[in-house]
Amino acid sequence: MSTQTALVRAQDLRKRFKKTEILHGLNFEIQPGRIVGLIGHNGAGKTTTLNALLGLTDCEGSISVLGKDPYAERAALMNDVAFISDVASLPRFMRVRELFDLVEEIHPKFSREKANGFLQGTDIRANAKIKNLSKGMVAQLHLAVVMAIDARLLVLDEPTLGLDITYRKRFYKRLLEDYMNEDRTLLITTHQVDEIEFMLSDLMFIRDGYLVLDSPMDEVGERYTQLNARNDSIDAAKALNPVYQEAKFGQNIFIFDGVDKDQLAELGDITIPTVSDLFVALMQRDNETQGEAI
Amino acid sequence: MNQWNENQPIFVQIRSQIAALILNEVTAEGEALPSVRQIATDLSVNPLTVTKAYQSLVELGAVEKRRGLGMFVAQGARQNLLAHEREKFLKDEWPRIYAQIQTLDLDLEKLINKGAK
Repeated sequence: MSTQTALVRAQDLRKRFKKTEILHGLNFEIQPGRIVGLIGHNGAGKTTTLNALLGLTDCEGSISVLGKDPYAERAALMNDVAFISDVASLPRFMRVRELFDLVEEIHPKFSREKANGFLQGTDIRANAKIKNLSKGMVAQLHLAVVMAIDARLLVLDEPTLGLDITYRKRFYKRLLEDYMNEDRTLLITTHQVDEIEFMLSDLMFIRDGYLVLDSPMDEVGERYTQLNARNDSIDAAKALNPVYQEAKFGQNIFIFDGVDKDQLAELGDITIPTVSDLFVALMQRDNETQGEAI
Repeated sequence: MNQWNENQPIFVQIRSQIAALILNEVTAEGEALPSVRQIATDLSVNPLTVTKAYQSLVELGAVEKRRGLGMFVAQGARQNLLAHEREKFLKDEWPRIYAQIQTLDLDLEKLINKGAK
């Protein structure tokens, strides 16, 4: 993919609060048509990164979104970018149709017709007061509003926090069905990464203000291998420099980065690690001395 | 919760599911297959993953992409797929199965009679 077409490009992105630096020079690109998962612990810098990208905070280094500097050209950028914050709220005193009136007035690319369409099949009525809606319904309403904006980039920060599994599934199905196409890009942060693992086309892990992984999903599957090693192969497995190892339930689990899969298959059962297994592995890598876990 | 097995990339598993539609003649030659968007939504997977699965079937001559209309089962798709799957079975799976039959000292004729029941 050509770097010319990147939708988002960050170079040496740094953020300091007083004397503490919390983003330590991130470099990444996001291409159009992708669904990117930005995964990290609380306080790792996820929301700060999103804020930089949305022009909500001033940073050192450079970041461009759709060719614009988000901090300097925030208003122009918001024509093409939609966002649900993890602390998002809708005006509780309004009715649903009044909310649509408001958004129609302030956003040139909002389609009321589309928003109404998204509410069909839900229990949300146009006359309902927002304060009387359940948490799941508010999330549905919020999604209906942002999806009705013809944006090229949609940023969702923990969009399904506090929702039950039925609503979460419906939320993501909606996105795939009605929002995604090859010109549109989705950036999601979430803790419930298992649920969206197969939706993602790209995976970014952020830890303590550093990007520790930034890769297309299919390359993740080629690069990383999880091995459940036979008892007589444990030493051989350790000799291949696993990035993670763990003994549980009498099983010896290893994760390898860039080791030949055929070679590993001779030592036991190999699988592609899930994103959450990989997350645990890469987030602990520096803190634990290798070999201690077993 | 997880409908996938961890040994194969997802696109390979989706490819097998589409291939099964053709092999079992659920969708006949010349008929339309589910759209990329529909499969992506139904399975909650990335549309690019579905596209990749379709692409590999297009390369095998099992599926044809008609511009603006979607994916269709190609003429001769079943034969092409069968030939491909047979070859794959004989090359990748049969040697392992044969070795296991010998290890277990199984009688081939009894096995075949058992399979036919």
